[in-house]
Amino acid sequence: MSDANEQIDKLMQELRRGTITIGVLSQLSEPQYGYSLVSLLGEKGVDVEPGTLYPLLRRLEKQGLLDSKWDTKEARPRKYYLLSSTGKEVYEQLCVEWRDIVSSLNHLIDEKGGKGNGDD
Amino acid sequence: MEMIERYIYAVTQKLPPEQRQDIAEELRSLIEDMLEERTEGRKITDIDVEQVLIELGNPRHLAQKYRGTKKYLIGPEIYDSYMMVLKIVLISVAAALSIGFIIQIIMDPISILDHFVEFIVSFVTAIPTAFGWTTFGFAIGEYAGGFNSKNLQIDKEWNPSKLAPIPDEKRQIKRYEPIAGIVFYTLLIMVLAISNEYFGIWVYDDEFSGVIPFLNEETYGTYLFILILGFGIIKECLKLVYGKWTFKLVIFTALTNLVSLIAVVIMINGPEFWNPEFMLQLTQAGLLSEGSETYETVSRIWEQSTFWIVIVLVIGLIWDAIDGFIKIRKSK
Repeated sequence: MSDANEQIDKLMQELRRGTITIGVLSQLSEPQYGYSLVSLLGEKGVDVEPGTLYPLLRRLEKQGLLDSKWDTKEARPRKYYLLSSTGKEVYEQLCVEWRDIVSSLNHLIDEKGGKGNGDD
Repeated sequence: MEMIERYIYAVTQKLPPEQRQDIAEELRSLIEDMLEERTEGRKITDIDVEQVLIELGNPRHLAQKYRGTKKYLIGPEIYDSYMMVLKIVLISVAAALSIGFIIQIIMDPISILDHFVEFIVSFVTAIPTAFGWTTFGFAIGEYAGGFNSKNLQIDKEWNPSKLAPIPDEKRQIKRYEPIAGIVFYTLLIMVLAISNEYFGIWVYDDEFSGVIPFLNEETYGTYLFILILGFGIIKECLKLVYGKWTFKLVIFTALTNLVSLIAVVIMINGPEFWNPEFMLQLTQAGLLSEGSETYETVSRIWEQSTFWIVIVLVIGLIWDAIDGFIKIRKSK
């Protein structure tokens, strides 16, 4: 059983890795800094480790999906991230793709489930 | 608070210098945010700091995520050939050392203990050297190949008609060719490095009584020679990695040949590369008598040998490059 759990953990990690990007992009139509984004996603039920999120933000910025800006007006300087115009476009397209994946996978799962039930 | 700085340092020192400062500043403000959230206004203790850092995880892993790609000297694509060549090289080095050891025992059985010590010492120095050269050669191959795979990725619009033709026979490099080359160079290096005093004319006077060396043992000429052979190994490694004659490979081999050529010129023009007392020693060994006709002939050959060796080396190296171009041409 623990063997199965281990496999599930691994697969879930892979599954999450791909979806985190969509999650992050979805929250950045308003500027956010690293930690506010962790809390924001956490509140909405998407737990992301800070150690994963911070480098991801930088990578997305490098890829041109995010713009960033240091805000030095407050007591503590913070780096804010915001969707760039490319980012917006990418995010919208990703949403379409995501819905496609969900519906086709749901279809597959339900089909299998239906068959299985029928055999019982 | 010092712990935070230590953590940030541990992460950023593994990052490219131009990114360090920005990431450090961002990380610092993020850690402070996390601390603030955790303590909710009360005083921050060391335990809080520790827990926040644990949440961020091992600095090495964090740095790796910041870098994105994994870095390596020899990647999975050429790892197999690397291991194969490494085995061949190490085995041939070990074999050459053992053969040298046996020769020494046969010729001079009395000081067997000395030879054994020498054998062990050269084993300890030569194996890592061979390992280093091989790895160096492959690292260059990886570097060159790395550019290749990047080019392939950029090339997004792929279709089957773009598939490269199977290289024709003449263009393909048979695997055994570079392998044989590597073994040959390695053996030569070993022989030169360990027993350059045996690289010469062996004098028998009823029994073996010594060697008149070709090279001047007191100068660095031998090392340059080894360097040239080292370049030879790099070249063979490149051939093994590419597997066929391509324009790039020919350029690479031509470049290594050019470097070798420069080394040859330095070597020959350098101070006393050859044994300066060669002729004298030949006379002393009783093989020649001064003034005789043979003496004159040998002397002339000896004096002109430098010239001819350079000519042969130069022709060989240039031919090697031209040969590559011809092989590319033939397949077109």
